[in-house]
Amino acid sequence: MRFVFRRLGFFVVTLWAAVTLNFLIPRLMPGNAAIAMMARYKGRLNPQALHALEIAFGVNAHQSFFHAYLTYLGNIARGHFGTSLTFFPDTVAHQVLQALPWTLALVGVTTVMAFVLGTFIGLVSAWRRGTALDGALPPLFVITSAFPYFWLALLAIWLFSIKLGWFPPSGGYDVTTTVGWNWTFVSDALNHSVLPAATILVTAIGGWILTMRNNTITVLTEDYVRMARAKGLKPWRIMWTYAGRNAILPNLVGFAMSLGFVVGGAILVEFVFNYPGVGWMFLQSVENQDYALMQALFLLITVAVLLAILAADVATAFLDPRTRERG
Amino acid sequence: MSLPSVADSVQPAGATVGSGPPEEATRRTAGGDVFRAVAHNRKALAGVGLLLGFVVLALIPGQIAPDDPRAKIYTPGLGPSWHHLFGTTAYGEDVFSQLVWGTRQSLLIAVLVGGLATVIGVVVGVSAGYLGGTTDGILSLITDVILVIPIFPLIIVIAAYERNSGFFTLVIVLGLLGWSYGARQLRSQTLSLRTRDFLEAARVRGERKSYVIVKEILPTMTSLIVASFLGAAVYAVLFAAGLQFIGLGDPNSQSWGTMLYWAENNEALGAGMTYWAIMPGVFVALLGAAFALLNYAFDEISSPALRLRKLETTGVDAEQETAVPIRPPDEKNILEVRDLSVAYASDHGPVVAVDRVSFELGRGEFLGIVGESACGKSTLVYAIARLLGAPLAGEITGGQVFFKGRDMVTLADKELRHIRWRDYSVVMQSAMNALNPVLTVADQMRDACEAHSTMSKREIEQRSKEVLRLVSIDPVHLHSYPHQLSGGMRQRAMIAMALLFTPELIVMDEPTSALDVVGQRSLMVQIKELQERLGFAVIFVTHDMSLVRHFSDRLLVMYAAQVAELGLTRQVFAKPLHPYTTGLLEAFPSIHGPKEHLLGIPGQPPDLLRLPPGCRFAPRCPHVADRCRVERPALYRVNGELVRCFLHEQAEEPVAVSTEGVA
Amino acid sequence: MSEPLLRAEGLTRHFRVGKLLSSQKLHAVDDVLFELGRGEIVALVGESGSGKSTIARLIARVYRPTAGEIFFEGRPVSALRTRRQRLAYASDVAMVFQDPYSSINPAYRVTHPIRRGVVLHRRDVPRSKRQEEVVESLASVGLLPAAQVAAKFPHELSGGQRQRVGFASALVVKPKLIVADEPVSMLDVSIRIGVLNLMSELREREGVSFLYITHDVASARYVADRVLVLYAGHLVEEGPTEDVIQRPKHPYTQLLLSAVPDPRAPLGVSDAADVGEPPKVIDPKEGCRFRARCPLAIDRCETETPRLRPVGRGRLAACHVAQAD
Repeated sequence: MRFVFRRLGFFVVTLWAAVTLNFLIPRLMPGNAAIAMMARYKGRLNPQALHALEIAFGVNAHQSFFHAYLTYLGNIARGHFGTSLTFFPDTVAHQVLQALPWTLALVGVTTVMAFVLGTFIGLVSAWRRGTALDGALPPLFVITSAFPYFWLALLAIWLFSIKLGWFPPSGGYDVTTTVGWNWTFVSDALNHSVLPAATILVTAIGGWILTMRNNTITVLTEDYVRMARAKGLKPWRIMWTYAGRNAILPNLVGFAMSLGFVVGGAILVEFVFNYPGVGWMFLQSVENQDYALMQALFLLITVAVLLAILAADVATAFLDPRTRERG
Repeated sequence: MSLPSVADSVQPAGATVGSGPPEEATRRTAGGDVFRAVAHNRKALAGVGLLLGFVVLALIPGQIAPDDPRAKIYTPGLGPSWHHLFGTTAYGEDVFSQLVWGTRQSLLIAVLVGGLATVIGVVVGVSAGYLGGTTDGILSLITDVILVIPIFPLIIVIAAYERNSGFFTLVIVLGLLGWSYGARQLRSQTLSLRTRDFLEAARVRGERKSYVIVKEILPTMTSLIVASFLGAAVYAVLFAAGLQFIGLGDPNSQSWGTMLYWAENNEALGAGMTYWAIMPGVFVALLGAAFALLNYAFDEISSPALRLRKLETTGVDAEQETAVPIRPPDEKNILEVRDLSVAYASDHGPVVAVDRVSFELGRGEFLGIVGESACGKSTLVYAIARLLGAPLAGEITGGQVFFKGRDMVTLADKELRHIRWRDYSVVMQSAMNALNPVLTVADQMRDACEAHSTMSKREIEQRSKEVLRLVSIDPVHLHSYPHQLSGGMRQRAMIAMALLFTPELIVMDEPTSALDVVGQRSLMVQIKELQERLGFAVIFVTHDMSLVRHFSDRLLVMYAAQVAELGLTRQVFAKPLHPYTTGLLEAFPSIHGPKEHLLGIPGQPPDLLRLPPGCRFAPRCPHVADRCRVERPALYRVNGELVRCFLHEQAEEPVAVSTEGVA
Repeated sequence: MSEPLLRAEGLTRHFRVGKLLSSQKLHAVDDVLFELGRGEIVALVGESGSGKSTIARLIARVYRPTAGEIFFEGRPVSALRTRRQRLAYASDVAMVFQDPYSSINPAYRVTHPIRRGVVLHRRDVPRSKRQEEVVESLASVGLLPAAQVAAKFPHELSGGQRQRVGFASALVVKPKLIVADEPVSMLDVSIRIGVLNLMSELREREGVSFLYITHDVASARYVADRVLVLYAGHLVEEGPTEDVIQRPKHPYTQLLLSAVPDPRAPLGVSDAADVGEPPKVIDPKEGCRFRARCPLAIDRCETETPRLRPVGRGRLAACHVAQAD
């Protein structure tokens, strides 16, 4: 338990760092992005909202830097992220919550799938070392893990959408259908998500297959695996409980570290497919210089990554009794 | 007093005491080694090839693509043709030229960012690891925070405020954010290095801390630093392309990512300008793949476990098998090993780790197998137990092992699994390594029970507690994890596990060497007691003869993969026949009797890859004759003992029991 | 009486252990007192966890003592401040390590540590003569032909050869004392004697003292003039080697001696399997640390920590029950 608390503490620090970065970056950048933005907002917002923005971007010279910072932190804590420029006059918070489920469904599911599948394939590949399977897979996945996400997305669109016409090339759903929990809508949404999901899956899985394979090979040289053989245990049990459970531990750590990459790639995939998720919205906000929305989305993405890492840490503590004691 | 000469015995290092075949060197210590390793690794070659290709494109783009990439002079939207290999863009530029000229920027970004990230990573990681304390705390926190914050969105945020940032801004930002993964790796490598004595030796010598970091630590981490560089390079290429693709780079720059941006803006895919839309991505992927392949190959080169070597058997034993008629094994003996040979593949060719070893073991008998490093004793017993494989990586290349009348060598895996643990079990050297760290002792006993019997959960628990009591462990520890037990307890827990089914044979590979002398002694006494009470046979492997002196019935002395002497323990100790045995006995200073000056045995055991032509012990033997250097002695029977030495050729029973294989 | 080369008084070293904010202290070495003279070989005998390696590192200045002092040639080691002073100490006190596989930097040839020793401590050797000196030192520890060995990397030498390189690196600085931390434990049995003989020979030839740290009493008897027995951070017995071995006073020494495997000894008294292990000494109370395993323990052992007291000529023992001569 102590271990989990320590990690939580670390996450709070990281979150604080992300929030502070959000605060600092516009102030550190040359040029007056804030002023430009203010100019565009004028006339469109009520005075309070305008004032809040002034505070958030430090345009109001009456406030000291530190005071502005504290106000900003207070706003964030209360969920006041401001008004979105892109989706005016909707609040940022509301818009973000609209996009969130799409991304959770797409990116969340595929990332977990990629990790689970990748780990399993890596384990089996190492177990069957020296066979054709193991000879072909690693080099193949080394190469695919270096593919840029967005390019693969383009390729997928070109092949499966334009050439073969199997799947729609963009969007999250057909705009002519009614949004809701009806079969037409859901099946349509699924249809639209196949290509983006496949793109993310194919690119993300490679790294995990490779690390799991290498970890497993190392674990297979350990004495306790030999001991398991000596005890006459069934091969799959050895592979699973002895090799797998130990080899996955460093992989879980790797999961945490590579998540940043996956998230970055997912943003690009949503962009290419015009998929209405958090990533797409994030890039829209950048395009429109809708800084309030952009900052909120950045925070959201960071929180999501932190939560995923926390989940991986809890899983590690669950699987490895030594971690629980280190605290 | 002559000091041992190294002239004829400067060889590759032997393994650590008591283990199997020699370890391969894992450090790249000479450039030549790296070069050779790279040349043999296909992935590395592919990576290098690709990279060289790109370097050429970057250096002499004019020669390869003479068209000006910016010239908008061609018909827009053309498909591929001889003149325009990949067609033209929507603005009338030649796609191929753009690709070639764009190489420069991408390669430059990869190298610059890779370099910057690696330098920062090395400084932060190594300092954190070596200096420790609060410095480590702070640096690690910063590293972890940067590692966890999603970099791509952060870069986008930065770029959002500073649109159309120049090339160098891109490099700086990417470099300043991409070092954390490498720093983490380098830090943990440095931490593990801290336990290496040579760092302490440097400090004791009086070296400054800065010297130690730069001259002692860094040179040992070259492969990690290179890997770090390659990883950062991949990251740089992909991120830069991604940024440019979404329009956050300089839209006027010459780069692949920008090409993709313009292609996307012009809906190139839908408009049939497929090559314009796809090819830049192919180039990005290829450059990334080149770095990734090199990285992966480096991983393989620097960690021998990942390399797979196939054993080429010489086929000599095949003809021997037909020549020797197979005698049925003697009923009295629980184990009969006949001409067992084991070989494994090394970087320099096949090594015979066990050379035609034969012996018998009666029921309830205690056999000690004694020898020093690389003599083959561990390989021998693991071969008998059919447990070869990584890390010993050996294969049985000949001979038979009759256990309870059946030849184990020819048994299929399934049948083998049936008799494992029930009829014979194994105790390994280090309990810390032999016990699965993520399972409790109870779990590990249970899975053995479940695999071989239909005992109920309660019965299993009963039995587990029973065997723990047998070795004087309080059953309350049953549900502990291995790391929660003390060293001695762990070792005894392993022995308890081996007794679960009260097998007829227990093979022990140096089970006491991880213990202190007092602990060793008490464990030996306990093992002997158990053996006398429960009646199982024991094969006990050790490098310490004195340990088995009072406990074993018979003794097998191994030297350089062969049997040197085999006989009743008390006989061997009273009157050792082989000069090696004599030498070994005299290499133990005693606490009893008068103090005498000892000589030990000069030189060291031979390298199994470069065996001397005659007797393997000849270079070190005090009784060596000319004949010993050219002829190989067979095993001679003397007084019921077997000894491989010409000194005993004219013995009482001049019957050569087994001969050497052909040269 | 001349000043001993090395004297330790009340030498103590504690380590903080446990979780992040714990104040638990591991008492690795407590209140150790001993002396070592010129040209003397003294063995420090103990099992793992006894504190012997910690003492070695305290003398080599890898650790600083928590309490107590080490006097080298009469001057306190803690008073060494400037780099020059510290370097001078490193010229006088060298160390040989236990693990031949990790005590030499694998990235360089074996001459590297020796050469660094020459550069740092042998101002008397001009630059042009450095290589010669290095090769010489290899020869002086029996690595022949020295010129060939000099070109090798550590992984090309065997364990015994690497240990000799370790001795050469220590010798080349012309030290007065070499602290040898279990120099033969990781070597093959047949090689050990050669290295032990080397130690004796170096003492004869060069007059250098050795503090020989080991868990093997028999090897201590073979090379050492005097022996110090360590248990759980305390020095429990001290005296001339032969005397201590033949007539041990402390019950732990007796236990240790009875457990020593000796191929030529007759089968000893069968001991009830003593399943004790040396304790991890964390925040210990008063009292003898051996009392849990001691067959002779009395009430006083529980409450009063025994101090070293004379029990014979040149003999000291820390035990309430030990009989003086």
